[in-house]
Amino acid sequence: MKSIYKNYFRKNDNNNPVLKALENIPVFEGLSDKDLENIVRLTHERTYKKDENIFKKLAPAEGMYVILNGSIEINDPDSGNVFANLESGDFFGELALLDEEPRSASALATSPSRLIGFFRTDLLTLIERSPELGNKVLLNLARVLGERLRKTNQELAQSSE
Amino acid sequence: MDAIQKIYNLIVFLIIGAIAWNVLPFLAPIIGMLIFSFLFTTVFLQATDTIERYVKSRSFGVFLIISSTITFGILFISSFVSNLGTQIKIFTQKIQRDDFAVSLENVSSKIKDLLPDILGSLIPESDKLILIAKNFLVNIFQSILSLLGSAGSFLFIALMVLIFTIILLVEYHDFKRSLVRFIPNKYLEVGLRMIYNIEQQISKYLRGQILAAGSVAILSILGLFILNQLGANITLIVFIGIIAGLANLIPMVGPFIGMVPAILIAVMNNINSDLAFSHQLFNTVPSPFYILDIILMFIIVQQIDNNFITPLVVGESVGLHPMAVMIVLLIGGTLIGPLGMLFAIPTAGVLKVVIREIIFVTNNSHLL
Repeated sequence: MKSIYKNYFRKNDNNNPVLKALENIPVFEGLSDKDLENIVRLTHERTYKKDENIFKKLAPAEGMYVILNGSIEINDPDSGNVFANLESGDFFGELALLDEEPRSASALATSPSRLIGFFRTDLLTLIERSPELGNKVLLNLARVLGERLRKTNQELAQSSE
Repeated sequence: MDAIQKIYNLIVFLIIGAIAWNVLPFLAPIIGMLIFSFLFTTVFLQATDTIERYVKSRSFGVFLIISSTITFGILFISSFVSNLGTQIKIFTQKIQRDDFAVSLENVSSKIKDLLPDILGSLIPESDKLILIAKNFLVNIFQSILSLLGSAGSFLFIALMVLIFTIILLVEYHDFKRSLVRFIPNKYLEVGLRMIYNIEQQISKYLRGQILAAGSVAILSILGLFILNQLGANITLIVFIGIIAGLANLIPMVGPFIGMVPAILIAVMNNINSDLAFSHQLFNTVPSPFYILDIILMFIIVQQIDNNFITPLVVGESVGLHPMAVMIVLLIGGTLIGPLGMLFAIPTAGVLKVVIREIIFVTNNSHLL
């Protein structure tokens, strides 16, 4: 009965932390609550212990992660460089949604963390089941990558001046 | 890991193995039903996803697909049974009439005249021939009747498979997501990749096979229709075509199964006809009762299927070596019979993907 109620009579669950986290991610920008709910149903919630690797450099890459809570360090284990320290609401690994290249850096949980995973297979399922929504996500993804490319170009231009 | 831990693990493994060994026979029918439901789910999944896209309700999409499949199935089976009943009636009347014995004797003596003495002596005497023919036909009809008799238990299994399929189709994506929860963090991404690849492999193979079977059925019906225009007098051509299409799902052996009912019906329908007996393929090769024409027609259909249709719709999805296909078919046939042969190739395909992914994970294990 509970599931029937949930399926047919529920209203948008605005208190769902996963939903709240996703609506602030540029990849899911501009999506309606219903669209976001459909995406939440495809995502995978995972918990990581402190010092546990989310993925290692050169590992096969399948998708992106959004941090629900905790902190993640993006680093290069070979050089020891730390590229970024990410907190709740940040996301990483979105490039893997589009290409099948290995990970270019490692991601390490620096505190117990709860992440939401959205993977290429989920995106492909979304494109098949709901092409309209899949296209919106793809367009957002292209925008995020375009912005990043523009930023890199600017930094490159500044460093060469 | 110390020695005690290893021994402990071994004991736990042995206990679980022993329990599984004893419980498995009781669970086997349920596992079988689940496997069938999973296969049907894979076949209908894409159609369900497509309908869901338009009607915005998955349950309604599943209802549409399942109800139309059941309606089509019932229509086909009922019309098949009624047509087969009429055909059996005609055949039985033919066998009981005296002129059947005369016709058979004529055929037997004509064949003996045509063949050299040594080969001719191998053909039994006409009374023996009639007995053989009668026994053969009685055996066929009896096995059809016993098949219909076991329809009760079949109906129960079909109903359970139907219920499992509906649940799996409606809940497929949530069900898959629940399964993913059990994958350890370390193997999450490769695990997802493996599930997706297996899904794609089975789905592509099954949909391809169904399309190929449909094409073979249509081509066979067309071929039989053309033969009828040339005077072959073959009845039930739609059903023979569908049987040929379904038999085509079993690689290598299937195509020959498709020929048998066509030849049987052609012989039975034309047994009194001298014209059909003296028929010649392309006016050169003797082809009594159009037998060679039928064989040639099925060979042409097979060639079209093997060279044009299957490569197009199934592609390299399974990509097993022909030798491997034969071995896998033999193993499937020996273990479970015709059903084993039907499922041998997709199972081998899945195993191939699993092994490929395991090798991939092993090669990349230092990266996980």
